[in-house]
Amino acid sequence: MRAWLGNAALVGFFLATLALFGLLAPNFATASNFEDLMSGFSFVAILAMGQAFPILLKGIDLSIGATLALAGMIAFDLSLIAHWPGYFILPVVLAAATLAGIVNGLLIVYLRLQPFIATLASLAAYRGLVYLISGRQLVPSLSTTPISDSWILGLDTDFDVGSALGISAFVKLPWVPLSFFVMLLLLAALWALLDRTKFGRDVYAVGGNAEAARLAGIPVGRRVIACYGVCGFCAGVAALTLIARLTTATEALGVGTELTAIAAAVIGGVSLSGGVGGVFGPAIGAFLLGAVLLGLTLLGISQYVQQILTGAILLIAVGSDRALAVRRRNRLAANLAPPAPAGGHG
Amino acid sequence: MADPALEARGLTKRYGDFVALNNVDFRLQRGEVRALIGSNGAGKSTLIKILTGAVAPTAGVMRLNGEAAPFGDPGEMIRRGVGCIYQHSNLAPAMTVLDNIFLGRQPTRGFGLVDRRRQRREATALLAHYGVDLDLDAAAGALPTVKQKEVEIMKALALDASVLLMDEPTGWLAATDVRRLHDTIRQLKSRGVGVVYISHMLDEIFSVCDTMTILRDGVVVAESDVAAVTRTDVVRLMVGERLAKESGEAAAAARRPRGDGRVRLAVRDFTRRGVFQNISFDLHAGEILCITGLIGSKRTELLRALFGADPHDEGRVEIDDRLIRPRSPASAMAEGLGLVPEDRHRDGLMLGMSVAENLVMTTLARFVRVGLLDRGAVRAAAAKSIDALGVQPRDGRRATRLLSGGNQQKVLVGKWLNRRPEVLILDEPTVGVDVGAKAEIYAILRAERDRGTAVLVVSSDLEEVMTIADRIGVMASGRLTAIHDATDVTLSRLVAEIGAEP
Amino acid sequence: MIATFAPVARRLAPHALVLAILLFIAAFSFLQPAFLKPENLIGILRQVSLIGIMAVCMTFVIMTGGVDLSVGPVLAISGLAAFFTLEAGWPLPIGIAAGIAVGVAVGLANGFLIAAFGLPPIIVTLAMLSIVRGTALIAGGPDLHAIRGHDSYTFIGAGSLWGIPMPIFLFGAVAAAVIFLQFATPLGVRVAAIGDNERAARLSGHRVWATKLVIYALSSAGAAFAGIIQTTQVHTAAATYGEFGTELDVIAAVVLGGTSLSGGHGSAARTVLGVLFLGVINSGMNILNVPIDSQLIAKGVLIAAALAAAERAKH
Repeated sequence: MRAWLGNAALVGFFLATLALFGLLAPNFATASNFEDLMSGFSFVAILAMGQAFPILLKGIDLSIGATLALAGMIAFDLSLIAHWPGYFILPVVLAAATLAGIVNGLLIVYLRLQPFIATLASLAAYRGLVYLISGRQLVPSLSTTPISDSWILGLDTDFDVGSALGISAFVKLPWVPLSFFVMLLLLAALWALLDRTKFGRDVYAVGGNAEAARLAGIPVGRRVIACYGVCGFCAGVAALTLIARLTTATEALGVGTELTAIAAAVIGGVSLSGGVGGVFGPAIGAFLLGAVLLGLTLLGISQYVQQILTGAILLIAVGSDRALAVRRRNRLAANLAPPAPAGGHG
Repeated sequence: MADPALEARGLTKRYGDFVALNNVDFRLQRGEVRALIGSNGAGKSTLIKILTGAVAPTAGVMRLNGEAAPFGDPGEMIRRGVGCIYQHSNLAPAMTVLDNIFLGRQPTRGFGLVDRRRQRREATALLAHYGVDLDLDAAAGALPTVKQKEVEIMKALALDASVLLMDEPTGWLAATDVRRLHDTIRQLKSRGVGVVYISHMLDEIFSVCDTMTILRDGVVVAESDVAAVTRTDVVRLMVGERLAKESGEAAAAARRPRGDGRVRLAVRDFTRRGVFQNISFDLHAGEILCITGLIGSKRTELLRALFGADPHDEGRVEIDDRLIRPRSPASAMAEGLGLVPEDRHRDGLMLGMSVAENLVMTTLARFVRVGLLDRGAVRAAAAKSIDALGVQPRDGRRATRLLSGGNQQKVLVGKWLNRRPEVLILDEPTVGVDVGAKAEIYAILRAERDRGTAVLVVSSDLEEVMTIADRIGVMASGRLTAIHDATDVTLSRLVAEIGAEP
Repeated sequence: MIATFAPVARRLAPHALVLAILLFIAAFSFLQPAFLKPENLIGILRQVSLIGIMAVCMTFVIMTGGVDLSVGPVLAISGLAAFFTLEAGWPLPIGIAAGIAVGVAVGLANGFLIAAFGLPPIIVTLAMLSIVRGTALIAGGPDLHAIRGHDSYTFIGAGSLWGIPMPIFLFGAVAAAVIFLQFATPLGVRVAAIGDNERAARLSGHRVWATKLVIYALSSAGAAFAGIIQTTQVHTAAATYGEFGTELDVIAAVVLGGTSLSGGHGSAARTVLGVLFLGVINSGMNILNVPIDSQLIAKGVLIAAALAAAERAKH
């Protein structure tokens, strides 16, 4: 219930932001701008949805940028050096990224490392692995060769939804990139996973009260490992959509994206204190960030000011999350009032 | 006779040097309601934790319905039908009531999908069966505490448990709710469920239990049918013959109601809306005033507000006729207050830091010379306190975590004594402390009183209250309902007042 | 066998880091004798001095269970602030003071948001990372600003005394100062108290918020000082210095020194060891011509292994 209210507020805020920029920036409310938004921020949304899982468990995954680069480089190598067909590459890349996430989980559960530290260490290690397997360095001649596999590039197809619906004569709708549909599909799947399965309920239980979860017989360690696996998987999906757009992979792919993803998740209402949030919010959070950045660019505001505003938005988001938590607690205190002498309680 | 629902032999649990449970045998038949009784720190909670699989014992064996059961595996114990209602909340606060009731074992259709319709159907039937009214879609954390307790009870009952452990289930409940809970227990009993019932409230035990096991200092001191003993017997067994007699006599001889007659701390109409209301009392220099009451009667909250750790809405607090406004612990301390909190691990001590550092934690500023910390003076002061308190071992450099519970508690009390507060407030000063250390802490408190300090103690351990109090206050549901001179009140009258509705 | 080793192991555990450093030094010099040359050893110290200053100054923050991700941009903006002040014709001490003051201001903002509103440090300093970087870029643009004609200024980073580069002295001085703060002033006890048990610290009458303000300001001041040294080392100031990843190196050094991110135990002196450990590893791998990729992997594995071992030793 409350989660939906929170999401509704976020969507409202998102729409208000769109409206505001639509009024202020002349070229904001155009089809091409929305194409930019969808193709440029779908992968951020995917990363943010993945990041929601560790954060739901009071953890964090700093390594997703490196995982993304690793997945991208594996695809690069398999396609350009090994000449594998795309339908083999896609599952292998996703499996590798998931494995990278699972390794994080193992470090946290079995070596009892703090999530921050474990993923900081794996960030360095995965980024090193990217350089190690970099096809650009193994075969320097390939560094300017674009990926041409149709399966991978197919992820960058755009669909003219307007024509398909037969309304393009009336309004010019943006072409929707496939990566946006991938994002939607993943959103639906992860939402179902969190909201409809026993696994999802367990995740909320572990994040909300780990001791209660343990006493209820939930295998806490396995859930933690799985959540980091999901986060890695999402980084893999994001990597595929990204290299499809860029038609190549670089060693520096995804540097700093972990912080953007964390910001989007927090803006999307995933509480760092665990157990609160979902995947819808982070997706909206990513596009909200994207809309603000694109809108400000169109307004001619320097990219540097945008960085400042991004930070400010993050502070406001976490500040309001905190204010909500305080209000919840105060309401709880009021609830602790003894039952009224006459009516009693129910 | 059929196999008992639960049978444990030789259970022993050590935490370092401290033996929490020593070679305990415990047996529960189907359809039996067995009371588990003992003072704070007697080992009840440890026993419950072992039975639920939350902790593994150091030694012992256990059988459920005749089959050997593993230790330290809460999931397996739930599958074997052992449910527990814990004293502290075990809910995931952001999740709905429905999710909490089925925490960790939702019914599923294929693919791990939760069968939400079946879940709701089962929950609704369960609530209807026991006549409990709960909004299944409310977030558990947003419910009033009484309702949260009901969720916990439903969570345990939804297990279809054959053994149900209840750790002070009525601590938060009003008398009508207690009666309803007891009806529920009788229903369970008639269906062959074995119930272990922990409570300080002898009334409840005599009304709902068949048998009892009494623990003291980690060993079983008595097992009996409830019908075969009197309340006096139970209290005597709980506390131990010698301690009961000695401390009773010592206390009676040394009682000093109203101390030296000067009002040190005057509290008037002190209120935190929705928590406690119109608390008024005088605390005199040189007396120990004990406030007792059920868990949830807001005693701790009152102390925290007096000390400025929580806000309050209305009321006056005066020390020696001087109006004070407790806004923060630091400001309350500047006015001469000191608070020894209940939970020494959570609120009291820096367990990773040394004993010496803990002992000067409240007086750090006194050891600063021109901005620098005089470590030599710290060591000397700590050594003096360690001697005065009898902390073992006598080593100020030792990490506080390595001390036994009793010695940790002495350090905690000591760090406040070092400030020489005019008003010393203590919340459950002997929780989880062995008998010897208890007596030492009582002696320390009496010495502090005799020095003219005004001492305010909150305790739910009635023996403790009867032992150290000069006057006794009773709190119920956020109100101070009575204050007696300790010499004028009997244990049974106190018990009655504590359980009464306000 | 194991039983007889156990007490030895327990004795050695507190010195594990020193032993590891010596072990790596021995291994590297065995593989490549040039490792032990004074120039190389001095080079190691010079290389770690900036990270070292930041790490030592961040130790208190991490001891309280916090973290400061904003040090990279602070390093950049402070260098710029010092540069602009000098360009405007102010004397050297004012220039340095301006750089440090900017850093302290950022730190106070961090500390205020964290202490007054109870916001999570990781997010506050992440936001501040973005805000400060943006501000630095507005102030300095994307270009390098060459520093000319300030000999005494450039001496700070590029000069040397008795053959030893100045940054090493400065690192030593900052480390000594912070270690002194930890052991000889009440701040050390207050910080440890917050990290061990913040609730108890408040209930013991400590002004927790004031301590937090001080330690976040100290962390930023360290980054600011490092920023000034860096501008003088490379004779340029730029808004892009302290690039992404700097903060992670700093945190790694602190954590390797045995300061736990969950708060509590920690020591500025041991942070120095953590810094040296990282320095030795980096330099050794460089001198052995280990490629950058394997270096990164090795660093990740070493951090994880060291911390896992420390965690194991605790239980």
